[in-house]
Formats: sequence, C-alpha cells, structure tokens
Amino acid sequence: MQIRSLHLTNWRSYESSDVEFGDGLTAIVGENGQGKTNLLEAIGWLAGLGSFRGAPDGALIRIGADSAILRAVVVSGDGREQLIEAELPRIGRNRIQVNRQRLPRMGDLLGVVQVTVFSPDDLELVKGGPGLRRGWLDAALVSRHPKYGALRSDLERVLKQRNALLRSAGGRLDADAEFTLDVWDSKLATTGTALRTARVELLDEMVPRLGEAYDVVARRPAAVAASYESSWDDDLSAALMTARGHDVRRGVTTVGPHRDEVRLSIGAAPARTHASQGEQRSLALALRLGADSVVRASGVAQPILLLDDVFSELDPHRAAALLDALPRSQRLLTSAVGLPTPARPDQVLYVVDGAVRVAAA
Amino acid sequence: MSYSVTVQELIDQLGRLPGIGPKSAQRVAFYLLKAPPEDALRLSRAIAEAKEKVSFCDRCFNLSEGGEECAICRDPRRESRLLCVVEDSQDIVAVERTQEFRGRYHVLQGAFSPIDGIGVDQLRVKELMTRVGEEDVEEVIVATNPNLEGEATAALLVKYLKPMGVRVTRLASGLPVGGDLEYADELTLGRALEGRQLLDAGDD
Ligand SMILES: Nc1ncnc2c1ncn2[C@@H]1O[C@H](COP(=O)(O)OP(=O)(O)OP(=O)(O)O)[C@@H](O)[C@H]1O
Ligand SMILES: [Mg+2]
Ligand SMILES: [Zn+2]
Repeated sequence: MQIRSLHLTNWRSYESSDVEFGDGLTAIVGENGQGKTNLLEAIGWLAGLGSFRGAPDGALIRIGADSAILRAVVVSGDGREQLIEAELPRIGRNRIQVNRQRLPRMGDLLGVVQVTVFSPDDLELVKGGPGLRRGWLDAALVSRHPKYGALRSDLERVLKQRNALLRSAGGRLDADAEFTLDVWDSKLATTGTALRTARVELLDEMVPRLGEAYDVVARRPAAVAASYESSWDDDLSAALMTARGHDVRRGVTTVGPHRDEVRLSIGAAPARTHASQGEQRSLALALRLGADSVVRASGVAQPILLLDDVFSELDPHRAAALLDALPRSQRLLTSAVGLPTPARPDQVLYVVDGAVRVAAA
Repeated sequence: MSYSVTVQELIDQLGRLPGIGPKSAQRVAFYLLKAPPEDALRLSRAIAEAKEKVSFCDRCFNLSEGGEECAICRDPRRESRLLCVVEDSQDIVAVERTQEFRGRYHVLQGAFSPIDGIGVDQLRVKELMTRVGEEDVEEVIVATNPNLEGEATAALLVKYLKPMGVRVTRLASGLPVGGDLEYADELTLGRALEGRQLLDAGDD
C-alpha cells in the first residue's frame, strides 16, 4: 500500500501543509524540532488511531487551535484509491470519513492504512518490561486479523471486571461472589487461552525471520531466540482456581496472558540484561522487521514503512544493511543529520519549521 | 463567572442525567432558558406525568402504566411457558416488534458489571428465580446483549437456573438479514460461524 498525499491542518507544529509522497524511498530531512516526526506521526495516527509516540490526542492538536485535521489519499494493494479525512477536536469525538462517507465507528478505520513503525524508542522492546513485548506481538496479530483486536479488548474488559469484583470482595468471598467469579473465570479462560495459542503460533512463525533480520542488521551473526513463557501450564481454568485465594487477597488477577513474557536472548544470554547496547539496538530493529515480515507473508497487508530517526545510531555498514533488508514497498525515513550515507532516495523532503519542501532529487 | 443559584441548580440537575456531562448540561439549560415558556413547561409536565403514571411492573419489572402489573403480564393470551429475559425495557420493545414471541418477559434492569458495582443483588435475579419456581415456566430464553457483560450475565443466569430444572436457551447472534455475506464484517461472520446450527432433513 501507499500514501500519495497528506494534508495537515493544525496538526502538532503544522498550521497548514500539503505533502506529496513518491513511491519507493523518501528521505525526510531537517534539523531537530522542525516537524519530521510529527509528519510520520500523522500517517501513523491514520493507521492506528493514536500516536505511535504514545501521546494523547490532545497533544496532537496545534497549541491554540480547536481541532486538527488530516486528509490523506492512500492506494491499497489492489490499486483502489481512498480519501481518508480525520478531524480531532479538542472537545467532543473524533470524526472520520472514508471517501466522504462518515464511519459509524472509529475502529472501522483500522486496517485501511497499514504501517510498520521503526523508532529509537524500540530499544525499549528489548530493555523494557514484558508488557511492551506482549504489545509488539499482539500488534502483529491484529494486523493479520481484526478478530485479535476484538479478542484483546474482550480480555482487557474481563480483567477489569474480574479485578473490580476481587477488590469489592475485600479479601473474602461469599457464595454468591464465588459464583460470579466463576463466570468471569470461564470468560477469562476462553479468551486467555485463545490469545496465548495465537501468540505462540505467531512467535513460532516469527523466530526464524527474527534470526535472519538480526544477522542482516547486526553484521555479526548470532543465535537469536524468542520464547513464550506463560504464567500457566495447560489449563487456564485450573490455574485460575489454584490462584483464586491469592488473587482474592491481593485484589488482582495473577495468571493470564497479561502476565506472560516473551523472553529474548542473543547467543546463550538474556538480551534484556546481558546484551550490549549495539546488540540490543540490532535486536530491536529485528523485532520490527520480523513482525513486518510475518504480516506481509500473510498477504493481508503490505505496510508502509515509517522509519523515524533510526539511522543516526547505525554505522554506515549497518545502515546500508538495514536499507537493503527493507521490503520494497513505500519507505519514509527521517533524519536530522542529513541523509544516511548509503541511501539513494527517490525523493527528498526538507522540513523547516513546520513547512515541507521538495528538494530536486 | 458563576451563574445564579437558580440557573446553577438547573445545570446541576441536568448534569445528573446519564450521558450528559457538564458541557452538555450547560447547553441544554441555556436552550431551555431561551425556549418559549410553553416548550419548557411541556417538558416539565411530561416528566411529572410520566413519573406519576408509569412505574415498574411488580412481576416482570417492565415499565407499567396504570396498574401493578404491565400490559404484557396482564394479557391472558400470553404463554407463561416461555420466559424471555432481557436487560432493559427497551429490549422488550425490540423483541415485540418481531411479533414472533408470544411468551412473557423478565427485565433484569441491567447487566452484570462489577466495574459499575452491578452484581447479582443489583439485578432482578432473585425475583426471576422466584418466578421460575412459582410460575409454570418451561423455557427461559436469555436475550441479554451479545457483548461481554451480556454474555457474563447469561452465564450467571445459567448457573442459577439450571439446578431448578428449567430449560435455558440463548439467542443466537448472527448475520443481519438482508445483508450480503460478502459485506458482513469479519467479527459478525466469525460469531455466526461459531453459533452455527445443524440443518436436519426437516422430518424432526
Ligand atoms: N501540539 C503542538 N502544537 C504546536 N507545536 C507542537 C505541538 N506538538 C509538538 N510541537 C512542536 O513540534 C516540534 C517537534 O517536532 P518533531 O518532533 O516532529 O521534530 P523532529 O523534526 O522530529 O525533531 P528531531 O530531529 O529532534 O526528532 C517541537 O518544536 C514542538 O514544540
Ligand atoms: Mg523526530
Ligand atoms: Zn410485567
């Protein structure tokens, strides 16, 4: 898929700008703080209905403005052109139109624009807590099929409900509360088991691709492994029952897919605690490449690649290796230090103070 | 700036309504203040009259006008064999529109949701069990919403009702009629597949 053009009104530092994108590789360059990431963030928002930097919608509206507007023309894999318009008002609900038709539910936009985002923050996937790695795996699942999005939101809701019930029990359960806890447990058992099964299958498919991607970007091949470590053995219902007393006392749910972990290792050592900074960075890139590759392989999506500021940390050899390893779909990269040395972009955009200018390539 | 006591009281009262935040409450209040006096009075009379005449049915907890029991509970042609359990009175209106159902209803007045502090005691579950015990109900059709809370409520009802020896069924959730299969969204289609039914030769 491809984005042809993007119009931004009152988006972050942009007052009103129009940008046309070529296919192939586009380099977006400019000094710090000029609005490069803001531009990618807008495309990312249309794909995921939120900022990939984790900023709340309110922060995306230009300071002093009442609402932000994005308007994008995208072309999907089968050549269909779609006009997507989003309005984010400071007060009230966001509004989205596709081909001038108002979407009844915001979530209906998901899947219309698909992106894979690479950012320096990805290092946290390796160094940070297990929630980030679960989120990484789940995002790839959702890209492959929207039913996993529904499964995840069901799961989150069951957990909220179950935890509310545990807290209201105040440390002890009467017969009625036991009864109602049984109901949430059985919901948790079905959604939790389904999510774990899907995660494990996807990870199995991902591991060889991770290894390949790592070898390419690290330029020093090593055995990379990712294994799923679950908080229960084979029967989630039974595990919930065993943990019940403990959960009631603590007022939280201590087993389930929200307590599972994806363990990453390089060679024989755990990546989180043992790998060097450079190794961790390569692994983070490999995690993004691997997820992108399983999504592509399923045929449901050919995501646009958004690479925010990832080349500044790489030496020219590794930058070249990464550029080479990227799938040949539309690629948009940002850089504050000029072009990554080996890059031969098809288009260069200069960003200065919220204005975008096309450079003669 | 702050409003006079009278205006603030109006805003506060409106703000207590479900789905109305402080901003909307203000907007509605000013709309009412600007509207012709008859309009505002008509609204206040409608509220007063509804509160006076409409109450909840003693038996099924549906809305009831002019009596302890609602029109459906009073109707002798309704079969008491079949009992359809719904979350709210609005759901009765929806089922009635189908003209397919000739049994009676029971309104739970909500769905099971610990986040909102709604448990068995906040719903009309004990009343339902009393009815199943006392009336000649053969089948309870659970027609709670097809969302998580509705499903949990259904599971809870099964737990309470099964031991009483009554047949408990659940509405199938499936495809909208009149729509093309090819345009059904994946989730609806997926659920419809899960809830598929056996087709037999028809000789029962
Ligand atoms: N809501 C907003 N309203 C106005 N300006 C904003 C808003 N949000 C962010 N900015 C401004 O946008 C600028 C940052 O833009 P952006 O993050 O895109 O920079 P960048 O070009 O990616 O820089 P770097 O190279 O440092 O990553 C900041 O100067 C910030 O003050
Ligand atoms: Mg940036
Ligand atoms: Zn009644």
